[in-house]
Amino acid sequence: MQKIPLMLAKAGMILARDVFRGNSPIGMPLCGKGTELTDSLIVRFENMDVQTVHVEGHPVWEEGECSVDDLLRQLDSRFSKTLQEPLNVALYNIYKAYLTRCMGGDSDKQAR
Amino acid sequence: MTSKRGDLKKIIMDTKTLPTLPTVIQKLNSLSDNDKSSVQEMAKIVTSDQVISARILRLANSPSYGFYRVSTISNAMILLGVNVVKSLALSSSIFAIMEKDIVGLWEHSLGVGAAANLIARKLGLPECEEIATAGLLHDIGKVIISIKCSEAEKEILKLVRERRIYTMEAEMEIIDTDHAEVGGWLAKCWFLPDKLGEPIAFHHDVAASRNHRIKTAVVHIADVLICASGFSNSGESFVPPIQKIAWDTLKLNEQILAELVDEIEDKLVEVKNFSLEMMAD
Ligand SMILES: [Fe+2]
Ligand SMILES: [Fe+2]
Repeated sequence: MQKIPLMLAKAGMILARDVFRGNSPIGMPLCGKGTELTDSLIVRFENMDVQTVHVEGHPVWEEGECSVDDLLRQLDSRFSKTLQEPLNVALYNIYKAYLTRCMGGDSDKQAR
Repeated sequence: MTSKRGDLKKIIMDTKTLPTLPTVIQKLNSLSDNDKSSVQEMAKIVTSDQVISARILRLANSPSYGFYRVSTISNAMILLGVNVVKSLALSSSIFAIMEKDIVGLWEHSLGVGAAANLIARKLGLPECEEIATAGLLHDIGKVIISIKCSEAEKEILKLVRERRIYTMEAEMEIIDTDHAEVGGWLAKCWFLPDKLGEPIAFHHDVAASRNHRIKTAVVHIADVLICASGFSNSGESFVPPIQKIAWDTLKLNEQILAELVDEIEDKLVEVKNFSLEMMAD
């Protein structure tokens, strides 16, 4: 899952979270997660003051952004002193799964 | 008490050698003993210093607190509490001295503040604002060490790099104390309440916290999580071990931890934007 500014949203991306008017999670969502974005939907969001959306996978790459392999290597290095501690192992596994998922790795269900 | 540690303590506890505390703080300190002073009265004192007021309002609107648009000091006092506003006045003055060379530590502090708030809310704990503030201030000892003993700080950083050890270990070796203890001294000489002072002093040794162990445990876990996420460079390259006593005190489990990681990562996008905006001007 990736959080992106609405400006970078494109038709075909899949919403990973409900979208609310003005980005504040009060009231009824404008659109439910799992919906595929269309151009007209994006225009409608613009009119409803939506600034960011959460989409499946990791469709937008910024300059200087690390690859999932880089991120996992850095994670290994950060945990290199504490992987004999059971609680830290649990946290390490949670982060590993998180990084893989939000970088569009295999655990992410994608409609592509 | 060996001389290095003693000297440092003397320097820190002597408020005259601290970065000039705004007169506002001194007035607030003298007021807090007087229970009759009202929020309005305190707000009036704070508002008399525009620079400080602006800094407080800025932090009050940071992702460490969950309120939308705190626009006046008396509002901040009501929503966040007098102690929090006082701490914000102090910490923003201290951080302002350091300015841009500690961007990493500043972001780390904002991240831990936000994470501590999320954890406290998720666990339904009282006084979330105090806990968030303790998170924001937890490494303030590092800032003071770098202001007061910049030579020693350089040696500490060098040791950390060369021997790949934790900052705490290097601090112990060079200055015979560590940033947590220093932060605790600082909280005392600022007359911050123990519910802020204990989490600062014991965030690396939760068992030593006697009266506010829950708050201390939250700040400890928040610190570990922010280190684990690799968010900003605070000078610490390794995730500290999660202390079992903190885990048990908060009755955490892997399910809650996984949910927290998701929520914190989400929040960190906001924290990053906030700190970029602050650095921009
Ligand atoms: Fe620390
Ligand atoms: Fe820290």
